[in-house]
Amino acid sequence: MRILALEEVTFWYPATATPALESVSLEVGSGEVVALVGRGGAGASTLLLIAAGLAPRVTGGRLAGSVTRGARAGIVLPTPWTQLSGMAFTVWDEVAFGPANLGWPEHEITRHVDRALERLEITPLASRDPVTLSGGELQRVIVAGILAMDPDLVLLDEPTAELDPEGARAVWRLVRSLAGEGKAVILATSDVDALPGVADRIIWLDQGSVRALGEPSLLAEDAMCEAGLGTTVAGLWRAAGLGAPYPLTVVDAAQRWR
Amino acid sequence: MSALHPFSLLAIAAALPAFAWILPAPTGGLATAGLALMLPLVPDPRWGVRVVRLALLTAAPFWLFLRLLHDGPTTVAIGGRITTMVASFVWLVAVLSPDRLVEAMVARGWSLAVAYVFAATLSAVPVLKARARRIVEAQRCRGLSPRGSVANRLRALRALALPLVLSALHEVDERTLALETRGLGAGVPRTPLAAPPDRPAERVARWALLLLCLAALIWRLA
Repeated sequence: MRILALEEVTFWYPATATPALESVSLEVGSGEVVALVGRGGAGASTLLLIAAGLAPRVTGGRLAGSVTRGARAGIVLPTPWTQLSGMAFTVWDEVAFGPANLGWPEHEITRHVDRALERLEITPLASRDPVTLSGGELQRVIVAGILAMDPDLVLLDEPTAELDPEGARAVWRLVRSLAGEGKAVILATSDVDALPGVADRIIWLDQGSVRALGEPSLLAEDAMCEAGLGTTVAGLWRAAGLGAPYPLTVVDAAQRWR
Repeated sequence: MSALHPFSLLAIAAALPAFAWILPAPTGGLATAGLALMLPLVPDPRWGVRVVRLALLTAAPFWLFLRLLHDGPTTVAIGGRITTMVASFVWLVAVLSPDRLVEAMVARGWSLAVAYVFAATLSAVPVLKARARRIVEAQRCRGLSPRGSVANRLRALRALALPLVLSALHEVDERTLALETRGLGAGVPRTPLAAPPDRPAERVARWALLLLCLAALIWRLA
């Protein structure tokens, strides 16, 4: 089932002449994980805001092209501390903020909040004051707050930026599990090494345009490695002067050595 | 005191300044200022002293400017009223938790966005205080000392104020996006999670305060 379709979308932020996103077309179906990669300013965050329905409705600016969204979207922004509601003195209440705003009955809110806390492995933090949490814990609380709203389209902007390696792995496992439930996930990340095991499709954004798209093997292609966007293994293989095609992961590299 | 219904706390914080301006000066203003400064001391004197100190420190510059512009009696008349306003607000910020206010307003059928604006105003003070502390620490790491001579302190103030204002403005954008995605503008009535109990006695007391204010106003105008 199609969850999101962008057709020839171009977007300008207010008072700017150069578009932040230019002629981007994209379709995402349920159960699919799409990863956006690119350098800073490539337009990945803008694309997520458009997919969430926040640009231009909240950000202002101008959008050309068409956006069709067939489901409710939830977005996790990159800085967790600016996403706190400021209205909750416990983690449980913070996670319940969104579901309560949707007007759900109390028992539904409780069910979704408890499940989201469990999935993010933060149930022991339920009674803590969110402002006393570390960056990584807060990041998980914010993700739980979005998941508790049960969106069909989950948009994640640098979801592992504040997390330690184990926390990051937990988030990637969660992404796959969300896709397994039929949710569509679009994520922007610089943790490209995790993507071969997480993403179904990769979109390489460059200065607001789609430069390439394809399967995760795209992350081992010469152009991506040259742009510094390939996986570490592929980059090392290339830097060592070993021949293309470059291996995508450590497992691939080990097989090639044999 | 913080167990009172948020509307009762708001009513007290609004009634005191109203009385301060309605009742004859300087007695009215000084009496209400005294009451407003005593409020925090009732539940816990040690905590209350900190709140009173903050209120007095906030009110002090107003007294200074009033004294520069006016004679003694006018300074006392207006100063008492301003101190009442400042002390009431500082007390309100200290005792009223924004989440309880939102829940109370939502339970009464207020729009969530309006409730949020009220609550965000109240929570802005501690948030800005915490941010200012972080900026001071960062500036200290870069060798700026907020202590010493007046010139030193003024220099430090500039280095604090600019990042404080700029970062607050920057955060507004992101917070707006975050709140929007979390359903603040969903357009459906929010489910109150823990609406504070509103006891009949408190409701009566609020009406009594309102009637007292009206009576005082009529008495003054008559």
